[in-house]
Amino acid sequence: MSTRSREQQLAWGLLAPALVVLGAFGLFPIGYALYVSLHRWRIKKEAVVGFDHYVRALGDPHYLLPFVAGVGLVWAAYRLRAALATGSSERSLRPLYVRIVWGAVALLGLWVGLAQGLSGLVETGDPALYNGFKVTFFYAVGTIPFQLSLATGLAYLLFKITRARGAFRTLFFLPYITPIIASAVVFRTIFSPHPSSLANRFWSVWGLENQRWLYESKSVVALLLQGAGFASYPAWVDSIFPSLALTSIILYNIWVYVGYDTVILLAGLSAIPKQYYEAAEMDGAGEWQVFRHITLPLVSPTLFFLSMVAVIGTFKAFNHVYILRTPGARDSVDVLSIAIFDQVFEYHNAGYASAMAFVLFIAILALTLLQNRLLGRRVFYGD
Amino acid sequence: MATRGGQARLIYCGLSVGGLAAGFPFAWMLLASFMSRGESLRRVLLPERVQWDNYIEAWQEADFGLYFENSLIIAVLQVSGTLLFSLMAAYPLARMQFRGRDVVFTGVLATLMIPEAVTIVPNFLVVTWLHRNTPFAWLNSWPALTIPFMASAFSIFLLRQFMRGLPNELWDAARIEGAGHVRFLFQIAVPLCRAPLLTVGMFTFIGSWNALAWPLLVTNTPDWRPIAVGLQQFASEAGTEIHLQMAGAVIATAPVLLAYFLIQREFTEGISISGLKG
Repeated sequence: MSTRSREQQLAWGLLAPALVVLGAFGLFPIGYALYVSLHRWRIKKEAVVGFDHYVRALGDPHYLLPFVAGVGLVWAAYRLRAALATGSSERSLRPLYVRIVWGAVALLGLWVGLAQGLSGLVETGDPALYNGFKVTFFYAVGTIPFQLSLATGLAYLLFKITRARGAFRTLFFLPYITPIIASAVVFRTIFSPHPSSLANRFWSVWGLENQRWLYESKSVVALLLQGAGFASYPAWVDSIFPSLALTSIILYNIWVYVGYDTVILLAGLSAIPKQYYEAAEMDGAGEWQVFRHITLPLVSPTLFFLSMVAVIGTFKAFNHVYILRTPGARDSVDVLSIAIFDQVFEYHNAGYASAMAFVLFIAILALTLLQNRLLGRRVFYGD
Repeated sequence: MATRGGQARLIYCGLSVGGLAAGFPFAWMLLASFMSRGESLRRVLLPERVQWDNYIEAWQEADFGLYFENSLIIAVLQVSGTLLFSLMAAYPLARMQFRGRDVVFTGVLATLMIPEAVTIVPNFLVVTWLHRNTPFAWLNSWPALTIPFMASAFSIFLLRQFMRGLPNELWDAARIEGAGHVRFLFQIAVPLCRAPLLTVGMFTFIGSWNALAWPLLVTNTPDWRPIAVGLQQFASEAGTEIHLQMAGAVIATAPVLLAYFLIQREFTEGISISGLKG
């Protein structure tokens, strides 16, 4: 009995330093951020303002109800579909009217949530916050799928060779270990608006006009339209597509992380037992079939892990954007972290910045849970 | 797996395109760092004469000596602190039975999801409080720059995954010899954890070398500012002096690359653990 309690003490003793640091600088800040966000707080604590900062950030709370109701309805529709899928094994057995009900609930949820809730919130909330959400969304959607497919392709190719595998792996990994500040300085000159910048040089090879790259706040689609000869285009084209500046940063981000994903995926590929491939070869499966039905499912836990890391990473992204942002890009590259940072550094408004940060934290939490639910069940863990 | 000649050529072609894309910015950084100002502005491919002086000029102009020294001290403190604390925390999580273990482990992993944007303001307030209420200086000095990062969930996770895989026979043998947990950890587990320890060290090193927002917040004089801040400021001041910027970028990259090449084998082995289930 006494040895057991001594072991307990030892375990906690070993854990103590790390837990103190993680607790004080990792977990405690969340509670403290919530506390700070409920106050007017410049250099030090001033008056209590309750949820005022959240109203200012998110918008009129009256719109919150339809938004939450809409999200609830979409969720209910999703649950309904999941329940139906397990209830009847054959798709054709599902009666038409059930599918109509399912679709109606989903559409109603979308309409209530977006048209009634979100649009009102965006109108009455802080433009910097909602712009931050939008840019962060572009950033994540523009980065993750490309990064993961490129990495999967490269890892698959690496897996098939034996000679020079180590050399290629080292080369692919270089961008990831290079200090962000150094590679960003390099990319700033590559994507400079100067006519002789490398990006413009590359562009002119194809007979295309010089671009302003990191200084361009117009969206890529608007630029395409202009390039195709349309002198004017509706304003919304700039608001629903990422700017060229953001696209340049996305390219940089992909460049940084593809190698890391490749190396981890290569480890995942190497862990697949050889018998699977031998069996597939015996059955006469083609290259693509093997990749699609054996490699991809067996490497899906690694892909899932990487996509989780990437989603959290893009929502946390700060350094990459901070160093590459230019006055010309205006707010078209300002992800949420940047908007929060501006509140701290430019306006010294710790109270409001904490409210925005807390909203970001809740968003990451919700997204991670959602991803876990939606993608998690598609992952094949074997047996 | 057997691959036919034509297919192999195609594979190497694909990999070379990827390698070119990954390596090209490096090549340009290196080449441009040896160019004259005019050459770097015209973006010629190769410098006519190698300008070693760029490095001396950049080093002096940006006061890189000071920033470099700061970054090295910060990195050494942070890496050794993180290694020690993570090792101590990972061991009980991997190999000891105690109440609340799963809760602690989940809590540790939960901190991975917290963005710096959330913690930066509260942490600044905490550090300011500590600066005023403890006998030693935190702001504008090394404690604020290193202590908050001396435990990382990722390091603890990686080491725990590895230690869980150590064979139980080792522990049984150690116990027969009369060794306790602490001796087992430092004399037997640590030498076996070479790869994950070096990996954790490398990641911490990269992280400390990259830190930008936090050092800007907790320092207001160059005395303790790290190289990322120095290079960022230098790059925004020396707008058109691309050759000097590139020399600065090479200087900032060199220590990390050197460390990477030294421990490359263990590092690739170590990060492979992180992506596998277990």
